[in-house]
Amino acid sequence: MSNQDRQEVFISLVNANRSILYKICRMYGATEPDRQDLFQEIVIQLWRSYPGFRGDARFSTWLYRIALNTAISDLRKQRRVGPSFDPDQLSIPMQDMQYVNDKEEQLQQLYAAIDRLTEVEKALTMLYLEDKSYQEMEEILGISQNNLRVKMNRIKEKLRKMTKEAAYGIR
Amino acid sequence: MELDNLKTIWKEQETLAPVTDPEHLAWLLQMKSRGPIARMRRNLRVEALLMVITYIPTIIAYLVLFAGRLSLISLFLFVVLCFYAVYFYRKDRLLIKMQCVTCEVRSNLAGQVKALRKYIRFYIWSGTLVILIAMVVACCTIRYAMQLKSMPIHWWFEPPFLLAILTPFAFGLLHLNKWYASKLYGRHIEKLDAMLREMDED
Repeated sequence: MSNQDRQEVFISLVNANRSILYKICRMYGATEPDRQDLFQEIVIQLWRSYPGFRGDARFSTWLYRIALNTAISDLRKQRRVGPSFDPDQLSIPMQDMQYVNDKEEQLQQLYAAIDRLTEVEKALTMLYLEDKSYQEMEEILGISQNNLRVKMNRIKEKLRKMTKEAAYGIR
Repeated sequence: MELDNLKTIWKEQETLAPVTDPEHLAWLLQMKSRGPIARMRRNLRVEALLMVITYIPTIIAYLVLFAGRLSLISLFLFVVLCFYAVYFYRKDRLLIKMQCVTCEVRSNLAGQVKALRKYIRFYIWSGTLVILIAMVVACCTIRYAMQLKSMPIHWWFEPPFLLAILTPFAFGLLHLNKWYASKLYGRHIEKLDAMLREMDED
């Protein structure tokens, strides 16, 4: 496969899995520039590691590992502000606007709660919300399944409490 | 908001993820990493290049000029340069080891903590030794030049006195390097350590 072909396959794979990258960047980046920097860094790391991808693991598992490793161990100082929302990223018909606004508000509440978690808890929450099995979580994070179960129970409790607080406007 | 709803809300944002322009992605692939380790490696290469640019002409100059009478200085400088070559190589190896993005998150973190600790130790000791070696080399060179010119060597230039001066200086330098390394990497290693502990605890 020529370099050009390899690049095209890679780009289509990244675009097919863009929602994973979008969510990780939104979760770990405090501001829009932070998210863009993180997205760029993840794509570069993915591309660098791509020749080593043999296909023995699922592409998404491989992608999660690289994206989370890049996001978690990033040394850069981030601007510490609350999660922001860029309305330009939406192009939604007017009649759906109210529905989308409600949903977006809930999503904002969810992100506000996630933002109060630790970096490790964020990774676990992301995989939980993505409906990953404990087996897959173990493959990505390297934490034993028993330990994952204990941690997940704690995080779920925390999230439940925090989203409830957010819904009632308690911070 | 109940937890069951969270997954639904989470999944609905899939439609929000903008399609990235393939041309923009192709452009991104040509970019250099701006990650901390990539930047540290780039800085290291610049440092190494600066050393070569300054040392090689000096070594050649002392070999060629003064009818070769000061060629010993070239040898001393060459020894220092060799030391630096090992220093840069070792540092670069440690930086490469520091990141394994395709590994499991936990093992990547553990590897980073281990490599970063080694890196800091190496940074402290080599940083101290390089300056001490350079000072010893400089003293030897001056003594050699004085002997060549049959100049009297004062008591304060005798090895026991120099040793008495260099020893506390070495300790001071070691502590200064420790403080600087902790200022540079202390918070980061603490953060990595805390994440690792969090991953391991039940």
